[in-house]
Amino acid sequence: MNRPARILLVDDELAIQRAIAPLLRSRGYEVEIVATGGAALSALAGHTPDLIVLDLGLPDIEGTEVCRRIRKESKVPIVVLSARGSEADKVAALDIGADDYVTKPFGSEELLARIRVALRRVEEDQAPDIERLAVAGLVIDYNRLRVQRGDDDIRLTPKEFELLALLARNVDRVLTHRMILRTIWGPNAVDQPEHLWVLMAQLRKKIEPDPGSPRYLLSEPFVGYRLVSTPSQSQ
Amino acid sequence: MNFSADGRKLVVGVVGIVSLTLFFHQWPQVANAATVALSFLVVVLLVAATARLWVAVTTSFVAMLSFNFFFLPPVGTLTISDPQNWIALMAFLAVALVASNLSAVARTRTQEALMRRDEVGKLFDLSRDVLLITDSEAANSSLAGFIARRFELDYVAICLPAGRDWTIFESHAAGAPNPDELTAAFNTGRNNDGQLAVASGVGHRMVVWAGDAVQVVPLRLGAKAIGLLATRGRSIDAGTLDAIAGLTALAIERAQFLDERKAAEFARRSEELKSALLASLGHDLRTPLTAIRVAADNLESSWADEAQRRDQRELIVTEVDRLTRLFQNILDMARIDAGAVTHDARWVAPTEIVDAARSRVEHLLRGRTVKVTVESDGLVRLDPRLAAAALSHLLENAAQYSDPTARIELEAAVSTEGLMIAVRDHGKGITAADLPHLFDRFYRGAAGKSGRSGTGMGLAIARGLLALEGGRITVENCDDGGARFTIIVPAEVR
Repeated sequence: MNRPARILLVDDELAIQRAIAPLLRSRGYEVEIVATGGAALSALAGHTPDLIVLDLGLPDIEGTEVCRRIRKESKVPIVVLSARGSEADKVAALDIGADDYVTKPFGSEELLARIRVALRRVEEDQAPDIERLAVAGLVIDYNRLRVQRGDDDIRLTPKEFELLALLARNVDRVLTHRMILRTIWGPNAVDQPEHLWVLMAQLRKKIEPDPGSPRYLLSEPFVGYRLVSTPSQSQ
Repeated sequence: MNFSADGRKLVVGVVGIVSLTLFFHQWPQVANAATVALSFLVVVLLVAATARLWVAVTTSFVAMLSFNFFFLPPVGTLTISDPQNWIALMAFLAVALVASNLSAVARTRTQEALMRRDEVGKLFDLSRDVLLITDSEAANSSLAGFIARRFELDYVAICLPAGRDWTIFESHAAGAPNPDELTAAFNTGRNNDGQLAVASGVGHRMVVWAGDAVQVVPLRLGAKAIGLLATRGRSIDAGTLDAIAGLTALAIERAQFLDERKAAEFARRSEELKSALLASLGHDLRTPLTAIRVAADNLESSWADEAQRRDQRELIVTEVDRLTRLFQNILDMARIDAGAVTHDARWVAPTEIVDAARSRVEHLLRGRTVKVTVESDGLVRLDPRLAAAALSHLLENAAQYSDPTARIELEAAVSTEGLMIAVRDHGKGITAADLPHLFDRFYRGAAGKSGRSGTGMGLAIARGLLALEGGRITVENCDDGGARFTIIVPAEVR
């Protein structure tokens, strides 16, 4: 991307605006701030931003509803800020089409990392279809349905491969349980998370150096799973 | 019907006989035995139809004597020569007896009907009393009073079994009877399954209660007895007593039902309150914490220039203030709930309270115009800390819900009733939807949700603090926009 990415910050809290806007500008992003869902939607109608940081607790429209309406219009990546204790809102937002979330209180780096990942995904989507993907010390060959670590083949069942490939295509991004279940097992399986737990446990045994404390295939409690490209110290 | 009324009828009857006697004596040409006898018979019949038996019999005797003495040969004596005249005498008596009996029966029926109507009316009144009871706690004790009043009874008690003992609700205190005697009465008329036969008068019994005989009937719901109704005073027929007892049993059951519903409602509300607390704290704590955390990162970063650092420092201080206020509110609320707020009244001038309140929220009122009017120089006796704290929440509210350039007006006065302080803002006023919930905890109006730092606790705390002094807050929208909150604290003044 040649020009600086434009970020639309949607938050009614002045304090959040004052803390986050200079942070984002310092990283070279252009920042536009609006305080309501209505304003966010009309800002979208004008000059589409490259990414939206959306607080779920807005005064006028429910955050998830804003998310849904944005998705109707555009594929712009959305990172959700959630202050609520309940996971339901986050999951709903992700299922509707938000790309990622951070839970308040979060640190600067956490937010910046999520924004970077979401922006990168857009670039990758625009890149030609990939045949091989190197992620988390693994090489995934989509054509031959093979996974290698170094020179060693890792033998995966077709379902295990599907799960790993799905997470790898969305590397560093959280995928909700529902979304994974729907993609791999079909729409009837979305309420049977036990499939996923079992499969994930099998996959971790084959991929993770220490399956008991995973470093790559991370759980987002009550939300979903995320494959991280580089295991960070904070995780 | 009393004696004087009977006496009057007797006099009328006798006067009638005497007048007829004089009339026929005056005009003997019309007076043959048959006409006289029939005329007398009319009088006896009239008297018998309206008066009691003894009046009718007495009248018929007078008629017979007069007929015998003046008109039956031998005239002027009471001897009866012709046996046919005995028949005339018997006819008088028979008419008197039959007619007065018939009229007596009719009168009794009427009276009974009136009494029934009266009792049905009373039962209706009682059922209305019962339906108007909304406070289930007061239900049982007020019920006894209602029955006593409606049915003009000296004493009414509702006895409910409580294990082996009895809970007794009396119309007025009269001393408890022997519980065993009540238990015995309760078991009267019940079969082995504890069921009562469905018939009026079953299980009725007299019990000696604090020296007086008391009529005891079962409180029944169908065949099931749930307790006893004891009455003393005028006697009420068994059917009516059963009806009263049935109504009372329904009322008791209704009260229990209300109780249960209230408990369920309370549990639900308390659940709601808890989740509202958590949601509110979730938002209100995490937002300033996030701002502080990010601002702290920003302070440490290399990109920030001096102006940006200053701004981030200010932001941290502002957000810490906000957290402090939030914690203060949570503490105040907890202290109100725990009854841990001390109350320490002293003589104080309204200006002191106003000044204390303003200084508590100085940071929020910075740059605002607050117009203060104190109308009297009287003193009032109350705890100034409570009133000032309550007022500070109103000021905070006014500042939050109006434009920063808009004026806030504060008016304080001491009247004979106590202290009055009004805070009027020039904001948007309060919507009809918000009005009933304004003082609910964690309630934030539609406009408040966009507020920068409201916690939804301020008005609830203000009301809670004032309640400790017997004070209250009212709110109204002003005709020319904005809301006006008025604190009224009843107190001694001088």
